[in-house]
Amino acid sequence: MEAAKANGKILILAEDACAYPGADAAGQGHMSYSANTYIMRVKAAVLFPEQFYLDCFHKGIAGIIIMSCGVETPYHGAYEALARRIDRVYALMKQEGLDIRRLRLTAICTVCTRAFIKEVQQMQDLVSQLGPPGSEPAAAAGAA
Amino acid sequence: MAKKKKPEPKTEPTTGGKVGVYVCHCGGNISDAVDVEQVCAQARKIPGVVVARDNMFMCSDPGQEMIIEDLKSGLVDRVVVASCSPSLHETTFRSALARAGANPYVYEQANLREQVSWVHHGPAATSKASRLVAAAAAKAGQLKPLAPLRVEVQPRAAVIGGGVAGLKSALELAQRGQEVILLEKSPFLGGQVAQLDRLAPLGETAARIIGELAAAVLQHPAIKVYTCVQVEGFEGYIGNFKLKVIRRPPGGGEYAAQLSTLSQSGQGLGEFVPFVGLMPASIPETQEDIHLEAGVIILATGMRPYGPRTGEYGYQKFPQVVTLPEFIRLLAAAPPGDTLALEGRPIRGAALIHCVGSRQIPGVHEENEGGYLNEYCSRTCCGASLYAANLLRENYPQTRIFDFYRDIRTYGRGQEELYTQAAHNQAVFFRFEAGEEPQVLENPDPQGPPLLVRVQDVLTFGEEIEVPVDLVVLAVGQEPNPVADLVEKMKIPVAADRFLQEVHPKLRPVEVAVAGIFLAGACQAPFDVGETCAAAGAAAVKAAAILSRGYVELDPFVAEVDLSKCQGAGACVEACLADGALTMVELEVGGQKVKRAQVNPVLCIGCGACVAVCPENAINVQGWTLKQFESMVDMVVSDEYLEGA
Amino acid sequence: MATPKKLSFDALVLGGGIAGLEAALNLAEQDFSVVVVEQDASIGGKMIRLSKVFPTLDCSSCITTPKMAAAAHHPQITILTYCELQTLKRQNGGLVAGIVQKPRYVDAEKCIGCRQCEYQCPVLVPDAEQGGLAARKAAYIPFSNAIPQTALIDTANCILCGRCAKICPTQAVDYFEQPGEFTLTAGAAVIATGFEMIPLKDKVQYGQGQIPNVITALQMERLLAPHGPYNRVLRPYDGMEPDNIAFIQCAGSRDQSLGLGYCSRVCCMYAVKEAMLLSGALPLADITVYYMDIRAFGKGYEQFYQTAQAMGVNFVKGKVAYLDPGENGAVKVRYESQDAAGGVQVAEHDLVVLSLGLVPAWDPQGRCVLSTAGDKFIKTVKPKTSPTLTDLEGVFVAGAAAGPKDIVDSIVEAGAAAMEASRYLTSVSSKQ
Repeated sequence: MEAAKANGKILILAEDACAYPGADAAGQGHMSYSANTYIMRVKAAVLFPEQFYLDCFHKGIAGIIIMSCGVETPYHGAYEALARRIDRVYALMKQEGLDIRRLRLTAICTVCTRAFIKEVQQMQDLVSQLGPPGSEPAAAAGAA
Repeated sequence: MAKKKKPEPKTEPTTGGKVGVYVCHCGGNISDAVDVEQVCAQARKIPGVVVARDNMFMCSDPGQEMIIEDLKSGLVDRVVVASCSPSLHETTFRSALARAGANPYVYEQANLREQVSWVHHGPAATSKASRLVAAAAAKAGQLKPLAPLRVEVQPRAAVIGGGVAGLKSALELAQRGQEVILLEKSPFLGGQVAQLDRLAPLGETAARIIGELAAAVLQHPAIKVYTCVQVEGFEGYIGNFKLKVIRRPPGGGEYAAQLSTLSQSGQGLGEFVPFVGLMPASIPETQEDIHLEAGVIILATGMRPYGPRTGEYGYQKFPQVVTLPEFIRLLAAAPPGDTLALEGRPIRGAALIHCVGSRQIPGVHEENEGGYLNEYCSRTCCGASLYAANLLRENYPQTRIFDFYRDIRTYGRGQEELYTQAAHNQAVFFRFEAGEEPQVLENPDPQGPPLLVRVQDVLTFGEEIEVPVDLVVLAVGQEPNPVADLVEKMKIPVAADRFLQEVHPKLRPVEVAVAGIFLAGACQAPFDVGETCAAAGAAAVKAAAILSRGYVELDPFVAEVDLSKCQGAGACVEACLADGALTMVELEVGGQKVKRAQVNPVLCIGCGACVAVCPENAINVQGWTLKQFESMVDMVVSDEYLEGA
Repeated sequence: MATPKKLSFDALVLGGGIAGLEAALNLAEQDFSVVVVEQDASIGGKMIRLSKVFPTLDCSSCITTPKMAAAAHHPQITILTYCELQTLKRQNGGLVAGIVQKPRYVDAEKCIGCRQCEYQCPVLVPDAEQGGLAARKAAYIPFSNAIPQTALIDTANCILCGRCAKICPTQAVDYFEQPGEFTLTAGAAVIATGFEMIPLKDKVQYGQGQIPNVITALQMERLLAPHGPYNRVLRPYDGMEPDNIAFIQCAGSRDQSLGLGYCSRVCCMYAVKEAMLLSGALPLADITVYYMDIRAFGKGYEQFYQTAQAMGVNFVKGKVAYLDPGENGAVKVRYESQDAAGGVQVAEHDLVVLSLGLVPAWDPQGRCVLSTAGDKFIKTVKPKTSPTLTDLEGVFVAGAAAGPKDIVDSIVEAGAAAMEASRYLTSVSSKQ
């Protein structure tokens, strides 16, 4: 338990049309990845306000990966709106001294299993290096 | 026809908070990696969970029975199944809820197989499983019963355009038992196909194709045809469209040429006249407003041939340069003989130039008069040109054909044979590169034919060749008919190529962004007649599904405004991605007039773009509320239920 | 073998590829009951096996799986996989179909798709789903997004070790399963049997599949797919990353030497697409397409072709006469050039992709009185005004069964066939 805590939890917002089945495909292939990942099925990640992301970090979530459908979203215009929002979240994260690499916007397709694993692994490496949210040295914040 | 009765979902509010958790072993697939008993024990400590049970196969009848019994006995009123991915069994368990008399939407699935037991091992797997169950239970506790939205449908289709696409789709629907209104701008049915003679590659005549289709349309009692009409007003949504149509005599000498051909032909109403079409009714003498209601609309507004610029390949500069449709007409009127003679002038050599007004490349080709380039391939011209070439060679063996092309695109069934046949008929081919188009010049030799076509021929490794000819035929491409007014009213997206834009070429190829409106034929892209009829059938079948059911059932996952919270900020309206789904309306609250957001659930796509921008969280997508997600995150980070179980 | 619970339907759709599924969905949405008969162990047809699709470059699986799932979950659609149609004939004003259910050696009712049998199976055989470039087990689920997720045992390779039967949590393995025969009745039928690629062995000039590093375009699809055999583009012969790749167009199409005079209609575009994807996967590689005419005729296709040219894909006008093995696994391409140099040229490439043409996947001969045309695809009798009409009453045809066709055209035609079929069913029922 303690080790997992130190690793920090990773929240994955997986869009229903592509990334969620993509994660399922990784499961069908028994492609192992770290267990501190929690996938939430969402219709479109554009639903979440800026504050949602900040609150997650306040609650102790160490990293968030938004696995969207990219421009292939069934909701026309949703990806562009989401990308603009994430830019604003980055600005707010910088203000709070949170390393913006803790939040990542990606596009994952229904068979993008390797991309899925890679994203999880990269975030896992990052959160184990950074520690819990809020612990980053002020200088590192906003890097990348 | 076998009809399955769908049980009406119950929507009266249930008491809430009594969550049952059902954990599946999946025959070891889950239980080999996850301690199912511990997951159940921990689940019982989650607030709101009243029971947690496990089963070897939750999807089996005994597994489903377990849930049904608990629902029926009143023990639980919310269900979480922790098993495989919802993509496999969400529908299974939702229908189990419905069988128990519960609302199918008070259900949440935790994915313990694809996203836990198959990818994680050791104690971490069980702990993650418990957290996912807790998150699902937290969401389930807040789920409300939902009912799919049902929109009644006006039992009628409006088809706009009386060409081959409009005729075909109207006929299909009528023969399927649906009522159809067919609207045509001109006085004639038949569209562009009526302007042709024999069609590539098999030689069916336009007269027969249009004659047959139009006759069947006019004879069908379920189809009402209006000619000389223009759509002036449009409102409504899927199931309930309202059209204001004006029927009036064509003004300013419009259609004068066709009308005079018609009167010279001696043919009457309802009879096909070559290069005119078929006039079903006389021209109205006065203007008349017609109000129509339709459940669905099919757009079949068609195409028109590209009109070359003055001077383009000598068009309108030399009288011997004509477009392919013009040539087809001339050919139909030409007398028989060894050599083709047009208006008394013998044609010993004719040049055919492909890709006129098609495949234009930015930076290489000159823009057209409207300031655009037709970058697309028009698909039909290669086949049509070669068909005309063969016809010419076979009927007038002394007339030679010189064919100037970039790529020969005889892709369709029976078309490659046209190409082979043209070679066999000794048509002479020259190939040119984009930007190295052949030049049409006056022949300096007064003894020779009037024109000279000069080309750098790829087939002879770039040699410059001059071919003296009596006639130049331009294989002009297709352009969409100018229907900007109409599509603006209907808010239909137009692609960069100016054709109407489908939602997705494979997922929804005949649908547009506005639900209930479908595309048929060449208004969407260049097509030949067979392809147009296929597209018309595809549009008709989508319309038939809506009309034959009589109602549209829409996903209940749409936005909902909480009027107790809404302050009328209006940010949601601005953020909305579906035109018209959110509006500000005036309401009376406590004796005061205030502005509040209102959702049109028929138009809402449920993306949640509005949710993110509401400062009060007064708007949410039903079944996927922000609060539910927040609670899920709370459960993911909480350790309370994990300890001491 | 369990006989299907329901044997009588409004419509029968033969073939569960994209055209068949689209036709079935369009019929079912009008509340007609539909049975889809698919010879493969999964629905999805050729499309589910592709990487990305032109001209949008959507991931193919992402477009196909929603339609597969919609059909599988539709209350009016019954899907019968791993079934062969033996006979289809008109009888008593309707259609009667004799069907054989091939044995899976796994009870489809009991199988929960957990793949324990697959994990336990010790046998490895080349996986046709990966173009033979990767291995699968003898007990297996065809591919990750197959529908149904039901295992089958490849008895040609099974060693009868019994491990699958032992591990199966639902005792679904049945080594003694026999083929099952049953009869379906339907008011109308849509033939959507699709296509196969021309067999490589038919093309003597291109090595009949014996020259190393000459692969088919479908194998290239797998190399490019995100869940492909190697996770990157490598030559199958020696695992080298190719620097110089060629596509040979009209390999078997427009080719009287094979008796296939027709254009296969999709090869130009799939080659352009694969070339584009390759230049993304191997940015430094030289990519050459040898062609006679580039036939980019569909919506957005010409622009797609122009983009490929702008990306640096080298298009060479010339018909390839024959291929020979070169040094170190290279392939010698001998072609007649139409370009500036002209004449017969020889070029060497690390990897050569044959843009094979399309032939029908199904022959009605001996099963049903449907006629085929000179090209051996199903004959249509009114190609202009009713392009899906066949010469057998109540039977319609959609997609590549009626001649090579791309996905967009197949889907649209499937809609048209469903319309004709529903119109026919309406007229028949109003007469009764």
